[in-house]
Amino acid sequence: MKRSPFLRLGLGAAAIGLLATAGCTKKSDNETAAASSGKAADQVKVALVPGGAHPYFQPWKTAATEAKTELKLGDATFNETSGWDQTKQNDVIKSLAAQGYNAFGIFGVAPENINSTFEDLKRQGFAVGSLASCPAGDVNKADFCLSTDTGEAAYKATKAAIEAIGGKGNLVHLTGNKVDSNTQRRIAGVDKAVGETAGQVKVIQVVTDIDTDLQTAQKAVADLLAAKGTQVNGIVTTAYNPAVAAAEGIRQSKLPIKLIAIDDDKTILDGIKDGSVSGTVLQNPAGQALVGSYALLKLSEGCTMAKPGVVVDSGSFIVTKANVDTYETDRKAKTDELRTAFDGQYLTCK
Amino acid sequence: MTAQVESPAPPDAPPAKPRRLPLWANPRIGLVVLLVLLVALFTTLRPAFLDTRLTLTPLQSDISVYLVVGLAQLSVLSLGHMNLAVGRMAATSAFAMGLVHDKLGAGLIVSLAAGLLVGALLGALAGLIISRTGVNSFVVTLAMDFALVGLITILYASATDGVAFPTMPSGMEALRFDTFADYCMGDVCGPRIPLVVPIAIAAALLVGLFFRWSRVGREVLMTGSNMRAAELSGIPTRYRIVQAHALSGLIAALAGFLLAANNGAFSASIGDSFLLPSFLAPVLGGTLLVGGAVSVLGTALGAALTQVIYKGLNLLQFQLDQLQLYIGLVLLAALSLDRFRHVLAERRGAKL
Repeated sequence: MKRSPFLRLGLGAAAIGLLATAGCTKKSDNETAAASSGKAADQVKVALVPGGAHPYFQPWKTAATEAKTELKLGDATFNETSGWDQTKQNDVIKSLAAQGYNAFGIFGVAPENINSTFEDLKRQGFAVGSLASCPAGDVNKADFCLSTDTGEAAYKATKAAIEAIGGKGNLVHLTGNKVDSNTQRRIAGVDKAVGETAGQVKVIQVVTDIDTDLQTAQKAVADLLAAKGTQVNGIVTTAYNPAVAAAEGIRQSKLPIKLIAIDDDKTILDGIKDGSVSGTVLQNPAGQALVGSYALLKLSEGCTMAKPGVVVDSGSFIVTKANVDTYETDRKAKTDELRTAFDGQYLTCK
Repeated sequence: MTAQVESPAPPDAPPAKPRRLPLWANPRIGLVVLLVLLVALFTTLRPAFLDTRLTLTPLQSDISVYLVVGLAQLSVLSLGHMNLAVGRMAATSAFAMGLVHDKLGAGLIVSLAAGLLVGALLGALAGLIISRTGVNSFVVTLAMDFALVGLITILYASATDGVAFPTMPSGMEALRFDTFADYCMGDVCGPRIPLVVPIAIAAALLVGLFFRWSRVGREVLMTGSNMRAAELSGIPTRYRIVQAHALSGLIAALAGFLLAANNGAFSASIGDSFLLPSFLAPVLGGTLLVGGAVSVLGTALGAALTQVIYKGLNLLQFQLDQLQLYIGLVLLAALSLDRFRHVLAERRGAKL
């Protein structure tokens, strides 16, 4: 009789289970909420949700305010409380939906399962754009993905680095979270460019998982320069914090290492001006947020995607000493071009 | 459901009179009151808090996951031990589930069973090391956590082309999206409760029964309360340590499964955020860190309280820094209230 409570529980659960499943049918899945179409601009509330706090997304904050006034949206908000956790991000998104936000521009924390979040939102009739990062694999279940082609940007950066070291020598690649499909794309982009040199250039080390914060990146760069500083000819960075840390590290150590950084932190721009940084690959975060909000508005107004799930490159630009003062014009031009492309090419409006 | 064993009193002490705490001093009741107050507060500030589809249904799924995470920690807290590898055990088990499904084409039940087995084995291994070497559980599980972080990355890199399995067993989709409202008998449909909720409740009931009624469970608590006394009473304490850790691993695996169902993929990042909530829910609910007393009902209430706070603050759209500040403050207030109530009860008890 010792096990009687367990036995009774088991029997009880089995009985309930049998009762519940007997003659039970599943309702058909036609619960999709009212379609997202046919809203006026002031009924559209756009939420821009990055994966967590990161300097890259700061331009989104101003872009949200700008989009709200310029596009006359009902509201536009920026919420960075997801804390790099997919579960938390899903929660944040649902809370925003409960607050009446009905169009979402999302940087998914986990590219490998963000599609299920997109699917969930689409089922409820919301317009969804994947911003600054596309889902892993070949399928994008958001309406569109507007992001830097990370593989292409890494390829461009590596080509520039190879050129800077004179087409021969050793490179090091500093990047972010290894268990992230975007990092895998970046590593592949670097390998592609190095592969084209027919063995003249080698990647002697790939340092991953150092984009969590600046301190981690600084420590990794200091360790790298102490251990292999003299063997390294060039460094390619494809994540924000390692780029800033590498720029500082090289300047302090005075080693003759050519650095191709990423993004436009002040340290990096100063480095380009004083020559300690060879160049940087700029992305277009503000453009992603602005054009993304515009496309979300159009979708909510009743337009459809000509090709649902289309992936659009938001642009990447190599900035060197030659164009360090004028790159903002190029970036603005790219943003305008993207908006025109959405109007003429990607969106179908009645 | 609370299970507790009394430490043996010194032989010459007069037998203590069993004294019941007044009802209002029961920490579980305190948590229920706090929960009701918070729900009322959040609903007043944001009526969307009672939105079934967007707030209440996802909230139930979240509470289910964190209840099970809390139970995994509770299993070893019963010994006065800790399991710092709770998240990675979940991740490794989720990998096993994904692998068995993806490579062998196994269905939901077989994949789940394989993952649970892996979790239990990992837990048992931790328990074995602790009981054989006598090294503190904190150190052993911390080391195990580090080892598993690396292992998981290597495993995913070798078995998948990214960091997650591309497919899921059929039925996981239903666990993710469906509620009982989707299943009808004639015209009568169930309530809007996600399908993962009964799984978590079943786990809680089984763990509660284990510690309350089963001999092994009582002996685990006894071991946690006073190891030496337990040994002298003929309890095989080493086995009990291994068994409690195996149980912790098993439940961590279940938590990994539920999170995978909620998130929609078996991925390497499962369990990343398990560690702190795993302590929070049981400790808020009255489980002692020193061992010997556990409260399953309290853990459920603790998990519900933390998720309600999180959801409410999210709805109020606090920015990141404020959000963290307020979560900390609300939890601190909850713990202080609990302590205050306890002290008050003790004093009243002393006057009686």
